Amino acid sequence: MSEQFAAALAAEEAAIYAYGLLGVKLTARAEVTAARAAELEHRERRDWLINKIAELGSSSGPTPAGYTLPFPVIDRDSALDLAIKIEDGVAQAWRPVLGVTADDDRTTALAALTDAAVRAVRWRRLNAVTPLTMAFPGRAG
Amino acid sequence: MVLTDAVRMSEVGQSRRRLLGAGLALTSLGGCGLFSHDPDPPTPVDALQPVLDEALALAIAYDRAILSLPAVADRLSPLAADHRAHAAELVTLIGRTSPTSAAASGPALTTPSAGASADEVIAGFRTAEQSALKTAVAACKATTAVRAGSVGSIAACRATHVEALR
Repeated sequence: MSEQFAAALAAEEAAIYAYGLLGVKLTARAEVTAARAAELEHRERRDWLINKIAELGSSSGPTPAGYTLPFPVIDRDSALDLAIKIEDGVAQAWRPVLGVTADDDRTTALAALTDAAVRAVRWRRLNAVTPLTMAFPGRAG
Repeated sequence: MVLTDAVRMSEVGQSRRRLLGAGLALTSLGGCGLFSHDPDPPTPVDALQPVLDEALALAIAYDRAILSLPAVADRLSPLAADHRAHAAELVTLIGRTSPTSAAASGPALTTPSAGASADEVIAGFRTAEQSALKTAVAACKATTAVRAGSVGSIAACRATHVEALR
């Protein structure tokens, strides 16, 4: 279980880093507000995971100082592309948590997966990426 | 040949009277139901069957709407495709083909009435997706660890459909 939680935590930490970076490339007020809200939500998920990992008696490990971006974020379009990629990655990290949790913890994992998938749709719409949806959010490949 | 030899009653230790008696006994047992051909008890419905029924019903409803309103085809076709992918996944998970009719047991979708605008049709689908989302979320919470990932992804996808239909 701690392995799945640790992977989800790593994805949330990467998302927090990415939103800090891509947010400055967004100029429209609605987009900036959405990015800030997303970052806050990822911080809440991160804190939840840290507590869960601590409950399991495991260590969450140090947060990386930086990340290698999959592509340069130089403007609004690339910032939105990164946001899409980040949310898809977060959804992929949460899906395995469903199989190792039950009750309230599974509810939280499902909410995290769903919220990431919905945010990815919003970023796709803003960047005119189609199709907006995918059949199995969180499934790799 | 052995197969064409007559079998005499005395060799198998049976008399005509005993055989007739046995036949009578079987008839009596049949009458009391022991050997009757009662249908097998119905197979329990899989917990994911309602999720499958909704996926099929929504796919069909989207296809019909696309036919009647080609202007929304680009918007609705990917959603229909998602539901068909879900149906295929759920049939695999359940392990058999669906015995129920999607049209009979799926969500109560409002079939686009003649003259309905694209906005009205999309609003109807949004409501249907919200209902289907609740079913999938409940199924994900209740299902086994092995199925949780797939059902969770289906629930998340239905949530994205609600968003895509805004």
